[in-house]
Amino acid sequence: MPITTTAQPRPPGQLTSPGQMPPDNRGRSGLRGVVGLARAGVRTVVRSWTTTPGRLTLIATGLVILTLLTGLTAAVMAQQKTDAVSELTNRREPLTAAAGQVYRALSDADATASSSFLSTGDEPPALRVRFINDIAQAGVFLARAASDPEAGPEISRQIDIIGEYLPIYAELVGTARANNQQGFPAGAAYLREASQLMQSTILPAAEALYEADTRALADRQAEARGFPWLTALLVTGLLAALIATQLYLKRRTKRVFNIGLVVATAAIVVGVLWSSAALITQSVLISSSETNGSEQVDRLVRARIAGLKARVDETLLLVSRGEGQQYAEEFTRMSEEMAGKDGRGGLLAEARAAAEGHDALAATLDKAQEHAAAWLKAHAKVRDLDDEGEYLEAASVAIDDTREDSSARAFNKLDIELNTAIQHGRQNFFDDASDAGAALTLLPWGWIVLGFVAAGGVAVGIQERLREYR
Amino acid sequence: MRRLKAAAPLAALLTVFAVISACASGGPRDLSPMVSVEPPMPANVTINPEIETTSSSGDDCGDPTVSLRPQGLDIPPGSTMDKIRKRRKLVVGVDQNTFLFGFRNPATGQLEGFDIDIAKAIAEKLLGHPAAAKFRAITSDQRIEALKSGKVDIVVRTMTINCERRKDIEFSSVYYVAGQRVLVKKASEYKGLEDLGGKRVCATSGSTSLRNIAASPAKPIPVAVDNWSDCLVMMQQGQVEAISTDDTILAGMAQQDPTLHVVGDRFTEEPYGIGIPKENKDMVRYVNAVLEEIRNGLWQQSYNKWLKPALGSNSPPRPKYR
Repeated sequence: MPITTTAQPRPPGQLTSPGQMPPDNRGRSGLRGVVGLARAGVRTVVRSWTTTPGRLTLIATGLVILTLLTGLTAAVMAQQKTDAVSELTNRREPLTAAAGQVYRALSDADATASSSFLSTGDEPPALRVRFINDIAQAGVFLARAASDPEAGPEISRQIDIIGEYLPIYAELVGTARANNQQGFPAGAAYLREASQLMQSTILPAAEALYEADTRALADRQAEARGFPWLTALLVTGLLAALIATQLYLKRRTKRVFNIGLVVATAAIVVGVLWSSAALITQSVLISSSETNGSEQVDRLVRARIAGLKARVDETLLLVSRGEGQQYAEEFTRMSEEMAGKDGRGGLLAEARAAAEGHDALAATLDKAQEHAAAWLKAHAKVRDLDDEGEYLEAASVAIDDTREDSSARAFNKLDIELNTAIQHGRQNFFDDASDAGAALTLLPWGWIVLGFVAAGGVAVGIQERLREYR
Repeated sequence: MRRLKAAAPLAALLTVFAVISACASGGPRDLSPMVSVEPPMPANVTINPEIETTSSSGDDCGDPTVSLRPQGLDIPPGSTMDKIRKRRKLVVGVDQNTFLFGFRNPATGQLEGFDIDIAKAIAEKLLGHPAAAKFRAITSDQRIEALKSGKVDIVVRTMTINCERRKDIEFSSVYYVAGQRVLVKKASEYKGLEDLGGKRVCATSGSTSLRNIAASPAKPIPVAVDNWSDCLVMMQQGQVEAISTDDTILAGMAQQDPTLHVVGDRFTEEPYGIGIPKENKDMVRYVNAVLEEIRNGLWQQSYNKWLKPALGSNSPPRPKYR
């Protein structure tokens, strides 16, 4: 319960509550008491340092505190690393994947709506079902992508834009369909407006969302791999202090070993070796989850996005019936980004090169490259037919996926392989990241136990020496 | 006891700290107030565009509808028609968005309409088959450029013949005479362009209609779009108050939306001609010869099919030659 409504700190003296001594006195005596306490403490320490038993007591106290502090810091660090890894697999990666799916679903909806416009007669039921599923998936994945408690303003703004316009887009496509069914050209105009809304407003937001999530994932990976400077500093300091103490005791007591301190040192050394092994393994596995997992997935998602853009261009180029130079240019740009000029280059080739040694993924990507090449060939055929004026035949090759030679068929096959490849990449990521988490198993508890063992060793070891002075 | 005494002030300090840090600041987490969404518009809409006001009367060319006299349907070797025949297709710039004149029939995927019938008739005469007409959809704004660059052989796209356009291209004889009127909601009080001062009125970029709207003394706000059906979309979305263009095009829109109707008198005369590149004079004579033929049959058939239900009976306009 807030007592005041301002965040202004007030002098302690102003606080009154029932059952307390008069405020003025109490405040002053409180401050004075603390200062007096500190002064007395310093005096005691200075006095103690002049005698050997006093000095030993001080050293013991300092060492025990440092040991416990180090043990605790190391345990907290180990726990944070464990949390960071599970955060990667449980939250960041699924969010990024959801954002990629939002883009895919939206883009596919746009391509499907244009395809059904190109189809003649009754709208093919398969296209209708596909469109509805795309819109439904976009909604579901958007909700997933939005469930990010750490979403910054950038991510939130993109999600807002998609959330605002997705229903409007669906409504426009519905109006287009109703007009189309009555044979009215207004249907085509509504479809163009819907596509314009998708291309100029919704998809850029989806792309920005995906990129922001990808960056957040990479940042978290870097964080999980980061070197624990504070813990390293404390451990080094503690080891130096332990050794110095043993050298000091050796000089004072002519005894080479002090069992307690040796045990303490050994415990800390065990902790250091265990942590090093665990953290190096973890960091190597996180790196591997990046190169074999998330970076591959990113490449494949970008390939898929470029492919979807090109597919939309392919259909819109036909819808615009001869006057769509900008679509032709964008098709070339996007398809080259995805698969080069012949299906053997671009992002797909990069992903294939990086998949060396992952047989399942490599095989999937080989197939994807084949389908990409087939698609580019089919597209060239569509363009040739359209240029010759065989418009209806061109539209059929573009959208009829029951035709063996159609670009719709090649594109759908490509999309299926890309989806499989993305799942492979996500699995690789998950395996490596989970192993990275497993490498840290018990390390936090280990540090707590080792910290107490070391502190106990220090206390017992110095206690033994102190006893000699009684 | 001494220890307790020392602890008391410490406890007091901690209490104070706890109370201070419990003091609330600000309110509940901001859910970002619900924005009102900007309603979408068709692509390439320009509200109140710059319109060249050099009117066609400034560069007087006499009667612009006077065309070249036809000289039969013979095709001399080396002529434009000969070249078209050798490549076995006639590339026609058309509209695919204007109901009744040039539009895509969603049931068949084919282009249909009055303009399309005329184009097919020319292809049939020239190449023996109506399907030899290969259509390229162009916007109003692209018509002259498409002819000058040779992308299309002819343009049959509700194109008004005027002196200004004559400077860049040739026209066939007149094949239809339309007139500009206004399309508004039936529920509205508007009776013509004169009632629409300060209101948004839609037409396509580069059309004579857009110019006439801008030149109207009532001073409506012109809104330019790519295609006529984009005007209808904006009208249905409440983004414009009226559409003003040829009564033929408006009739097609009124058929697509029964809540709209055409009002006011024709305030312009728009003679439609087939656009042909300036250098292809032989093609102009040939097209005029084809038009001579279809005026006696196919014209009426096509008119009755597409336009009569909306515009009533009509007969082909009389051609003028020089």
